[in-house]
Amino acid sequence: MNTPQLGFSFDLSRCSGCMACMSACFDQNDMPGNGSTFRHVSRIETGTYPSVSIRYVSLACMHCGDAPCVAVCPNRALSKRPDNGIVEVNKDLCIGCHACATACPFGAPQFPEGSFMRKCDFCVARVTQGLEPACARTCPTKALGFGPIEKLTEDKAKAASVKIVSSFNPNLAALGVGLTKP
Amino acid sequence: MHPEYEYRYDGHQGKVPGAQTGIEIRKTICSICNPLSHCGVDAYVKDGVVVKVEGSKENPHSGGTLCSKGNANRQYIYHKDRIRTPLVRKGDRESGHFIPISWNDALDLIAKRFLKIKEESGPESVVFYAGFPKWMRPFLKRLAHSFGSPNYCTESSTCFRASFMGAALNYGAMGPGDVARSKCLLVWSSNPFYSNTNLARGILDARERGLKIIDVGPLITPLTAHADIHLRIRPGTSGALALSIANVIIEEGLYDHDFVQNYTLGFEEYREYVAQFTPGVAEEITGVPAAKIIEAARLYATTKPACMMTSASPTTHHTNGLQNHRAIVALVGLTGNYDVAGGNLVVPPAYLYQQSPGLVTREPEFEQSRKWEQMAPRIGQAQHPAWCRLVPEAQAMQLPFDIQSGKPYPIRAMLGFGLNYRMWPGQDFMEASLKKLDFLVDVDIFMTDTAKLADVVLPACTSFERSELKFYPQQYVIWTKPVIRPLWESRSDAEIIFDLARRLVPDDGLMQKGYEACIDWMLEPTKLTLEELKKHPAGYTVTGAKAPPFQKYKKNGFATPSKKMEFTSTILAETGYDPLPIYKEPKLSPRSAPEVAKEFPLILTTGSRLPMFIHSRTFRLDWTRSLRPDPLLDMNPKDAHERGIAQEDWVRLSTPRNSIKVKANLTEIVPPGVVSMYHDYPEASVNLLVEPDYRDPISGFPGFKSLLCEVKKLMEGNV
Repeated sequence: MNTPQLGFSFDLSRCSGCMACMSACFDQNDMPGNGSTFRHVSRIETGTYPSVSIRYVSLACMHCGDAPCVAVCPNRALSKRPDNGIVEVNKDLCIGCHACATACPFGAPQFPEGSFMRKCDFCVARVTQGLEPACARTCPTKALGFGPIEKLTEDKAKAASVKIVSSFNPNLAALGVGLTKP
Repeated sequence: MHPEYEYRYDGHQGKVPGAQTGIEIRKTICSICNPLSHCGVDAYVKDGVVVKVEGSKENPHSGGTLCSKGNANRQYIYHKDRIRTPLVRKGDRESGHFIPISWNDALDLIAKRFLKIKEESGPESVVFYAGFPKWMRPFLKRLAHSFGSPNYCTESSTCFRASFMGAALNYGAMGPGDVARSKCLLVWSSNPFYSNTNLARGILDARERGLKIIDVGPLITPLTAHADIHLRIRPGTSGALALSIANVIIEEGLYDHDFVQNYTLGFEEYREYVAQFTPGVAEEITGVPAAKIIEAARLYATTKPACMMTSASPTTHHTNGLQNHRAIVALVGLTGNYDVAGGNLVVPPAYLYQQSPGLVTREPEFEQSRKWEQMAPRIGQAQHPAWCRLVPEAQAMQLPFDIQSGKPYPIRAMLGFGLNYRMWPGQDFMEASLKKLDFLVDVDIFMTDTAKLADVVLPACTSFERSELKFYPQQYVIWTKPVIRPLWESRSDAEIIFDLARRLVPDDGLMQKGYEACIDWMLEPTKLTLEELKKHPAGYTVTGAKAPPFQKYKKNGFATPSKKMEFTSTILAETGYDPLPIYKEPKLSPRSAPEVAKEFPLILTTGSRLPMFIHSRTFRLDWTRSLRPDPLLDMNPKDAHERGIAQEDWVRLSTPRNSIKVKANLTEIVPPGVVSMYHDYPEASVNLLVEPDYRDPISGFPGFKSLLCEVKKLMEGNV
């Protein structure tokens, strides 16, 4: 894949379900506060007492490579930007038919005012000016990140490599040598 | 919504700051939650209106992040419920009818009434109270004492002060865990992910470096997934667990012999007392398997250095909370982790509870403008003598009882900042007590239910509209400038206090010099000045401040009566309590009150933090409220199924005192047998269910986190 693609990274182990990402998104996008949200945080519980695991997942539009919403939109209101792969909605073309919502596997399309579709636009106006998406900027635990997806995977591999080496050399772990967060 | 705010920026332009959009970034701090956070804020301002907020990267503490509450600051600032002008009540307290009044008339009226009451019944008849936020406290306390009243009290009568007392009784003082340099973290009933996100981030970083974590607490928090061991106690049994951990450490000879031998008092009595708390006995009391207690004790005692992290009140919101907390923090000294790198450090706070190593202001001297001996006994003096020995405030939990009884003297008037009667156990008793006052003044941002009871209501502004001093642990300090002008006729709490000081305490020369002169006076030992700080609107990192040395006790002893770490507390012995950190069951538990438990078999724990709320402060904001819109009771699926309750069914949560209507949230966050309810929901306030005197006799703290209840499905409303 040679076209550039921006994406979110998400570190499951660091997410605390605090929903700061959601409220940062509300503030950035002047959301009405009626439950409409471009980002969802879910609590996933497995097991029963006393063996229980509780994890949290924060999800927004994944800006998919082969985005089903783009494919199904009858009015071609959805498109992928050639320069960064962000899936955009043209509100002048959107007819509010919800076809994108039925196709999207992540629940990304929202209809906050009951008419046009709105969803996460990756804070494209900010990102093209060198700023972060509001959700990634605010994340108190640094569970959320963003960037070109090649870089995100590289960073993850680097961090994992340090962990592997650290398991053989605990002193390295204690000093925290070379551990850079994605 | 404020008229200035009708303007809405087009979100599609992304609110990018710059000349093209006309958006300017101005620096301030968020003061929605407590002083341990107060994250740095970049306010995006256009035409005098805040159009967006985000975390300031210059602030090394919050590092550019904000929590779910902080991001909702715009709805907080521009909320329709903001009080617009000073108001004076017309008609009786039930009427809720007010008319606007000028600032001058309001302040003159307050001064006239307070001075008259002082003349008639003494200055102690006037109570000065500070709730959230805490930033105005130094000025209010000084105003109270200069006025002559010992009755300065705060929301800390249910928050943090009891843990402070526990540590002070044992050690004189003890600071938080030095997580960054530690190898093992013992977290005791604390969830920093929802109460102190900057600390939580540091714990995750340390965990990735190999930090061992032991998590103690009945609930599963986001920290639990990172813990090597989770000791899932029954609420209220912390003391028994701590004593059992001590039992293992002593039995196996894992304690710090040098520390115990040379620097402690009462070890033999303590050893004898903990002998009965074998892991088997503790398993029966706490519900934690004995093998896990042993494993945790060994891990904490043998991994050096190890630090401990408690929270503001989960360990002390029990009827035996103070002694439980003493048993917990005794483990720090027992294992030799007191005031060592990577252990629990002793660093005096710089200003307003926040430490900034090497920087200490004259805040305590500023506040105490009159000695206690020169004033009448404080509220709570007779009931909580140990509190009065250690805490430089009155005990506000005693206040409604004293208003009602008129003893030892009449309480007639009160000046409250952010006063909220729902904070008191049996809140209706506090509400009724406030109505008995001759004269009640409430200063608040919003027209709250408590403000509606007042005779005079004054509008305060938010942190975005004022200047304040703030220290952070990174030796970073900021003097904020207002990023917008105060909305309507609202004023800074400090301005209100100093305007009252001109009328009430003309003899207090320092206060007459004004707010900024007082800040400079407090700053004097730090060598910082407001003049210098004003040159750094984004804050300033102090260089050359030297952190205090470790193990200061070796040279100076401990700040206790015996100068030693006290396993047996001299102060508790002198005030008539058991000097050992003894364990007692919560007054209402299945073991201590089996008769009550027949009808009310579940354990109710309240007030455990949620990420989007902080006490009563963000319920009214759509952005935070929409994250958890209904008053949800966390309930284990097993207990729910036994009662025929499904997810989000309406249920009735009852104690022998009262009941509220809530919705069931089925979750494994709570263990079977325990339900957890957040406090302060306006429509379902759980403090109605707690008796006003369900309190720890030593600290006066309410037993909010362990009592008995039952939950029943409601037929109506579930169709």
